[in-house]
Amino acid sequence: MSFIKRAGLYCLRQRFKTVILFLVLTLIAAFMLTGRAFRDAAKGATADVSTAIGGKIMLNIDTEGHMGSGQQTQWGTAYAYNGDLITQEIVDAIGEVEGVVDYNAEETAGYYGAGVNFKYLPAALGLSYTKYGEASAYTITLSSEKCRAFQNGSYKLVKGRHITPDDKYACLISKELADYNKLSVGDKIKLYSFTFDSDFIDEFEIVGIFDGTEGASGNALTVDEIPANCGYVDAAAVQEIFKGIDEEGYQQLTIFAEDPVDIRNVYDRISALPELKGKTLKLSIDTEEYDVVSAPLESLQKLVNTTIIIISAVSVVILTLLLTIWIRGRKKEVGILLSIGKSKVNIILQIFTETFAVAVISFAASIPFSFLVAEKAGVLLVSRAWAGTANLNVQIDAACLLPLSMIGILLISMAVIASSWTVVRSEPKDILTKMS
Amino acid sequence: MSIVKACNIKYSYDGKRAVLKNISMEFEMGKIYAILGPSGCGKTTLLSLLGGLDSPSDGQVLFQGEDIEKRGLAWHRKSNVAFIFQSYNLIDYMTPMENVALTSKLPPLPVLERLGLTKEEAKRNVLKLSGGQQQRVAIARALASDASIILADEPTGNLDEDTAVEITNILKECAHQMNKCVIIVTHSNDLAKQADVILHLKKGELQQL
Repeated sequence: MSFIKRAGLYCLRQRFKTVILFLVLTLIAAFMLTGRAFRDAAKGATADVSTAIGGKIMLNIDTEGHMGSGQQTQWGTAYAYNGDLITQEIVDAIGEVEGVVDYNAEETAGYYGAGVNFKYLPAALGLSYTKYGEASAYTITLSSEKCRAFQNGSYKLVKGRHITPDDKYACLISKELADYNKLSVGDKIKLYSFTFDSDFIDEFEIVGIFDGTEGASGNALTVDEIPANCGYVDAAAVQEIFKGIDEEGYQQLTIFAEDPVDIRNVYDRISALPELKGKTLKLSIDTEEYDVVSAPLESLQKLVNTTIIIISAVSVVILTLLLTIWIRGRKKEVGILLSIGKSKVNIILQIFTETFAVAVISFAASIPFSFLVAEKAGVLLVSRAWAGTANLNVQIDAACLLPLSMIGILLISMAVIASSWTVVRSEPKDILTKMS
Repeated sequence: MSIVKACNIKYSYDGKRAVLKNISMEFEMGKIYAILGPSGCGKTTLLSLLGGLDSPSDGQVLFQGEDIEKRGLAWHRKSNVAFIFQSYNLIDYMTPMENVALTSKLPPLPVLERLGLTKEEAKRNVLKLSGGQQQRVAIARALASDASIILADEPTGNLDEDTAVEITNILKECAHQMNKCVIIVTHSNDLAKQADVILHLKKGELQQL
């Protein structure tokens, strides 16, 4: 009788032990399958983030030593940057560099305007230094979608669309400010702005409304300290408003690289551009946003990896203990098989086959169970920790099953060999003597 | 002609006190041998050495003139010998048919029926059989293996008188009609009297009576 048939008979006749083994192995398989699904989900999400965010290179004006000697105004001494700005020529040259997928100018608080036909959410001081009250800050941008707050998920567009490079006199305002003034997409707001010696009223169309500013107002002293009062305006409009007053160009440019890993090469290529030679501009690599988003995902990967290793080790120990106890109870059977000339390898193969046969069924049974657990836990994790930053898609797929089944076979082999060690070491006569 | 031969066998458990001392003996086909001796004298040890369950400290066991260690003890156990134990030693999750099939590729039922088990009994779990029936299954397993040598350790030790007689007759039949070499270790003088050759093991030495 072959060891396979003996194994089959054992599994069928020793039903209680088979059921216990089935439950233990199902539990182990479910844990490992779920763990593996989490690891893959975190890995996938990290890759998605990497693709979505990419690497960033920042090009800024270098203000150090280029702020002039100061000019007396009604509010005191004012300093103005007198170095180079990021011109359209530079922007176009950067856009042609290999590895650059996109760019955006984002100048936080680059434009200040007081509300002519609307009101800001009030601040503690209640200042009124213009004829239309306090001015709030706007971020000047080419593409608001590429702005930091939208990229990292702090802000989310809830109505309308983003500002694009083709826009002129377009703006985004917060939902709080829109609700406060009963404004909606398509409405026009008038902003009063001023320089040292001139002032303007400009009309911007609200192209989009974003949320994410709620609850962030705190005890602000001035209106521009309240995030809900701070919106986004397009760069073209601002350049037109200040034409002839300010130099044409951007103070800051965010350059998006295809792959954060390749960002150093992209940086080197941009640095070598002749358009940047001798300019008072600073180029630097910024992976902060990628790091912020990917850090929790990488932590999750590490956590899950550690958990899988611990589960594997504990599984081997539990399985070994269980099999050791059972094999000790099967010494008589081992002795009989040895006395009829079955080799020790043949006997161990029988035990392995018994465990493996149950493991195959357990593994199959654990798949739907793990699928449910992974789905529920995935939803929970996304809602708790990763909302808005990355899509954590926890699911069991075929790619998960093959490596895990290999690991399973390895674990079972280790457990069977460890638990059969006493049998391997014992002489047939000793076993038969003890069993008598 | 001898089928198995013990050549100057010595055996000790701890390397100091010899259990078996220079035992030499030839065992022939078609005969039944009984080994008698007090408890702990080494009868079962001698049977283990002849059956390849253990190796002697010194000396050789030859099967058809060849040292059994040469082709391996497991091979010797599988091909040349069959054991019958006092406690039957059947695998408890198997039926008699499956126990017999462990050593045989032939249909086990005819062997079991020849030893007096019905078809129904042959399909029951072995633990549901009487002691005598279990020993018959053990003998059937030994016969089905087609081994030349049957080594029986107290085969009637756990059986009542009538059943013991039946089992003894079966063993005699194995030797005389099936031309097997049957070596029995026993305390029973009644069983020993049925043997063709009676051997006495005392103080590590084997004497023919």
